Amino acid sequence: MVVADVRSPRRRAPGRLLLIGVALVFLGLFLVLPLLAVFVQALAKGAAAYVAAIGNPNAWAAVKLTLTVAAIAVPFNLVFGVAAAWAIAKFEFRGKNTLITLIDLPFAVSPVIAGLIFILIFGSHGWFGGYLRAHHIRVVFAVPGIVLATIFVTFPFIARELIPVMQAQGKDDEETALSLGATGWQTFWRVTLPNIRWGLMYGVLLCNARAMGEFGAVSVVSGHVRGLTNTMPLHVEILYNEYNYAAAFAVASLLALLALLTLAGKSLLEWRQPELRHAAREARDRTRRENT
Amino acid sequence: MSIALRGIGKQYGEFAAVKNIDLDVPTGALIALLGPSGCGKTTLLRIIAGLETPDEGQVMFDGRDATLWPIRDRKVGFVFQHYALFRHMTVFENVAFGLKVKRRRERPKARVLREKVKSLLELVQLSWAGDRYPAQLSGGQRQRVALARALAVDPDVLLLDEPFGALDSQVRHELRRWLRRLHDELHFTSIFVTHDQQEAIEVADTIVVLNRGRIEQFGVPSEVYDLPTSAFVHRFLGQVNELPVQLRDGRSYLGPIDISAAAGSSTGGTQDIALIRPHEIEIGPEAVGWPAVVTAVRVIGPIVRMELCAQGLPANEPLEAEISRERYESERFGVGQKVGLRFRRWQVYPAGGTAA
Repeated sequence: MVVADVRSPRRRAPGRLLLIGVALVFLGLFLVLPLLAVFVQALAKGAAAYVAAIGNPNAWAAVKLTLTVAAIAVPFNLVFGVAAAWAIAKFEFRGKNTLITLIDLPFAVSPVIAGLIFILIFGSHGWFGGYLRAHHIRVVFAVPGIVLATIFVTFPFIARELIPVMQAQGKDDEETALSLGATGWQTFWRVTLPNIRWGLMYGVLLCNARAMGEFGAVSVVSGHVRGLTNTMPLHVEILYNEYNYAAAFAVASLLALLALLTLAGKSLLEWRQPELRHAAREARDRTRRENT
Repeated sequence: MSIALRGIGKQYGEFAAVKNIDLDVPTGALIALLGPSGCGKTTLLRIIAGLETPDEGQVMFDGRDATLWPIRDRKVGFVFQHYALFRHMTVFENVAFGLKVKRRRERPKARVLREKVKSLLELVQLSWAGDRYPAQLSGGQRQRVALARALAVDPDVLLLDEPFGALDSQVRHELRRWLRRLHDELHFTSIFVTHDQQEAIEVADTIVVLNRGRIEQFGVPSEVYDLPTSAFVHRFLGQVNELPVQLRDGRSYLGPIDISAAAGSSTGGTQDIALIRPHEIEIGPEAVGWPAVVTAVRVIGPIVRMELCAQGLPANEPLEAEISRERYESERFGVGQKVGLRFRRWQVYPAGGTAA
């Protein structure tokens, strides 16, 4: 900062342009171009083919399954993530570091291994395989397995996003609320949750994106039963392997569209709620103060 | 409400934050817990609030054992150094919070609530700010909102943790006086924590000086300032000069000055030190007292602070003296001038500890 201020604007300009240029080229090359490619390929054989590809019952089943899995995995991780972040940020207890490490585990483990873990536990030759078969409960190669694998893989997103936010905010607000006579529940809903909703939203967004897009772990436990256990990413792969490019990209474009929608939703929220901007600015100021 | 602490102790791992504290706070008192950082003053305040549970001892509210009462049953208002305003709520909503979370039966009607919040905002001179968010207010304004919010639930006790610590000195001064007036009008019991001796002396009826988890001294401000019972308190409540007491032929000396005639001039130890406040040093003509040379003069508003190098003392440890502006203007002491020092008052302590 200081160095930049000392320099004259004229001398700073070329460097700034260069930096902006480099950033734009990278953005174009690695974000905009691929995204465009997805939509161009999807529409390569015309709108009719696009509609047909999406209207295909198997494609629809994949969309529905993906949304169902995300609708289960995201709320689950929402509750877990808030609870874990709350515990870690606001309390001192034995085993706290172990908990933090465990939350990070899914980031460290390859998704394929995550999938295999569930095969080992719930598969027909796994630990609970016999019991499950005897009671006619299907976990792997069925929807429950896909949900489990997705939850495992998306486990850290919300907690990881919230822990630093909650740690930076400290306990003062909660303690104030309690001293004013609020119950623990009221404190959570009226004070803690509004304070973290910014970070929470990012966490949910990331979690949701990953839940819909997860490939490796889901691929292992899914069994690839068309129309039953194929999620959108798996369906895209199958179509692609069958050289059905237009259909593959059509489904892929839907997936991309879902991602863009979540982003748009976030921007809309930010724009509609002025106090969110205040909150974000205040949080920034606070971290700046603490860093100096 | 009166508060009594009986043998309060609290450990954090190996570290004893407070040890065996006994303290009585009568109803309506305004008490300052004063001490350096890490002395346990905040821990003590949080124990009274119910934000921490003591490992031993009891907290009594009006004679009833409140040690294990949850914070929401204690009727205490707590104000934090960094205000802890709910930043997603307007000032009005912040102040109304404590009323809105009451049980349905006790919750005031919307109109009553609005009136109450309005009158509180008037009390803290922020009627205009009801619709603002905390981020739009200055530090002093935010702390006033925090006070109004704490007062909204009619607390019996107001606890303030370094309430003015984050404010600049002008605002701090104003808010101190304002808090004092508020306390006198509303008659609740207040305890505030500070590391600023000036603040404690200015605001409190009673000062409790804490050091390393123990109470060093307890008394009205002037008493604690003038009659400190330990070198620690003496040093902590203002500037001091420290001089070794020399024993020669059974008499005690500060430099060439024989102080044996004065009461408490020695504890008999060979390591005694005398503590002298800057305004207790008398500066006169060279012939009288302890010869010294003026090495620095600084005019600070109504007082003038001088550094003096006394004969026989190392040059890099000058004595600090304060005289009035009027005195300075009539005498015109200058750097390099030779003067004589006498001491109006001093207090002798053994090397480690308490007063003689």
